Amino acid sequence: MKYEEWSKISRIASKKSLWILHFCTGCGAIEMPPVMTSRFDMERFGMAPMATPRQADVLLITGYLTVKTLKRVIQVYEQMQDPKYVVAFGSCPINGGMYWDSYNTINQLDKYLPVDLYLAGCMPRPEGIINAMMELMEMIEKGEARGWEKYRKNYEKYKKNQEMAFKFGKVEE
Amino acid sequence: MKMKEYELFIGPQHPGITGNMMYHLWVDGDTVVKAECNVGYLHRGFEKLMESRTWMQNIPLVCRICVPDPDVNEMAYSMAVERLMGWREEVPERARYIRTVVLELSRIAAYLMGIGSYAGALGIYTLPQWALGDRDYIMDIFEQLTGARIYHIYIWPGGVRWDMPADLPKLIEKTMKYLEKRLKLYDDVFFKNRIFFDRAVDIGVIPKEKAIEWGVTGPNLRASGHEYDVRRLEPYAAYENIDFDVIHYPELGKFDVLSSGGDAYTRMLVRRLEIEQSISIIRQALKKMPSGEHLLKHPNWFKWEVPPGIAYERVESSKGEYGYMVVSDGGKKPVRVHVRGPSYTHGINVAETILKGANIADVSQILFSLDICPPDIER
Amino acid sequence: MKAKEIIGRGEEVHGRLYVKVEKQEVRELIKTLKENKFQHFVMLSCIDWIDDGEFELVYHLWSYEYREHVMISTRIKREGEEMESLHDLFPQIETYEREIKEMYGVNFIGNERLTPFFLEGWPHMPPMRKDFDSKKFIKDVFESIPPVEDEDEGI
Repeated sequence: MKYEEWSKISRIASKKSLWILHFCTGCGAIEMPPVMTSRFDMERFGMAPMATPRQADVLLITGYLTVKTLKRVIQVYEQMQDPKYVVAFGSCPINGGMYWDSYNTINQLDKYLPVDLYLAGCMPRPEGIINAMMELMEMIEKGEARGWEKYRKNYEKYKKNQEMAFKFGKVEE
Repeated sequence: MKMKEYELFIGPQHPGITGNMMYHLWVDGDTVVKAECNVGYLHRGFEKLMESRTWMQNIPLVCRICVPDPDVNEMAYSMAVERLMGWREEVPERARYIRTVVLELSRIAAYLMGIGSYAGALGIYTLPQWALGDRDYIMDIFEQLTGARIYHIYIWPGGVRWDMPADLPKLIEKTMKYLEKRLKLYDDVFFKNRIFFDRAVDIGVIPKEKAIEWGVTGPNLRASGHEYDVRRLEPYAAYENIDFDVIHYPELGKFDVLSSGGDAYTRMLVRRLEIEQSISIIRQALKKMPSGEHLLKHPNWFKWEVPPGIAYERVESSKGEYGYMVVSDGGKKPVRVHVRGPSYTHGINVAETILKGANIADVSQILFSLDICPPDIER
Repeated sequence: MKAKEIIGRGEEVHGRLYVKVEKQEVRELIKTLKENKFQHFVMLSCIDWIDDGEFELVYHLWSYEYREHVMISTRIKREGEEMESLHDLFPQIETYEREIKEMYGVNFIGNERLTPFFLEGWPHMPPMRKDFDSKKFIKDVFESIPPVEDEDEGI
């Protein structure tokens, strides 16, 4: 079997078992427990929370990211195995949301990490989360969710941006 | 070489932690020797943001400070602004009762979440499924009342944003009846479960004589044996007209008193019993609710100036005493807003003290039984 | 008000006793109040009065018995003045002092735990000071970071 065909089959298989990393980075994490538990029950779609980054497929950025959390998020992201997907959750990772003028939150997540899917709203409803995950599954099947390849290709650029945020702009040349 | 001590990091990415925060533990064998709390992962600088926004623009901001129990923030902030405006006595009677209902619903939701995650930390996974599922019915009430599930932006200075729909009390009563039925099941599965009291009795004790000095408030203080509740001591909203018990150790109703108080077991039982009190408060408030206005007339929001002064207002949240200090110099924006999050004391100093000597396996249940909410520590 | 009888001064502001004192008297006052049933230390806050060139430190105390709230306020200069640490009276003061050191840059003598608290590797002036312009800061720091564009195809 050719590589192309094989990867298509593997994509179809992997889209049906997405493990979401259990990392509450912001206030959007409050809507995750209802999604995980009996009322909305995301396990019907083959999704489940996973405690360790090494076995997780999806990194959910639930809300705003402070610079201190960004450091941990990047460490966690780099520990995850390829292929891996990032879903930015809520308005804050898109453009800062209502914390646009806060001194400690990064405004645009895609300057530091490749984002596959945005989920707007403050907060997105549980139905919205499930819908976004279905969308992500479709993207995976079509091979459109390729943020991890982008991260690999532009690793230097991402590292430079991250470094600038960690140092709050004071990078020694 | 023999290894004497090793270091262990719990969080920020860890299912056994109460949110995005971290505890740095020094461990000898199985016993924690020293614990250090590391917070700041959720620091958004609310107090700075509020200084550059007008008095009304701050309302959607404040509710985001405590995520599981957001309404207390709006309440405390509104109370402080009302105090400075001299509106304290003028708030419409109907608004006071609606506020009471909203605050108690929010308290039940927060307690259900707290109990669910605590049971999860003990490894009893039935209760998280049930409690979080049942919490969602309260979210449905909020959705009908305010239009939002989590952040309601409903309590405003001078009243509430909208009047309560006429058919809502029916839905609330239905939900309360359902919750009462479910609480019996919770008792059978969890609160009368041998696993619960074997694990939780005498774990993470906050001694009665130290509790006040350490700054512990709310359910944790009542579990240590003090009968103190802000709703009783400094009544706000409509609490002065409502009859309720302040649940405290050693009066645990139908549950056995197994410990000498202040431990994880008592703390969880106090929360469990307070849900019943909240249900009774909601019923009384709905019964006594008068008709009439629900909001005072606001000045033009863009030109709203609050008279100069300093005000401190406190409310009882599901975690403890929530306080807002608001300072105005007569301008369109506050000079300073300082938030006293209840977790600030029991999440940092108290947790660091009582984690000493605990088992590694008990660390996460101690943290969940304190009900630490990191966003209100770091704001 | 009971607190006024105990310490013999202060005025009532919005239902709370507001006491203005010199910074040397704060320790003695809080000690007296603590011995007289004002056992709950609520919080320590700091207000930046930039026009006066001063910081106002407010110590909030509450008595469960008398149901009264006392604010003890003292003013120090914005630059170069320090405050004595009171963490031996109430353990949680240590944390509040740590936050104020980070957010305003006020030094507390005797507190050994004034380490970074919320922020990590913060190189600028303490952010809660009124002369820290956060909009300019956002422009200089976060908005100046370029977006990452893919060169060849653009995913």
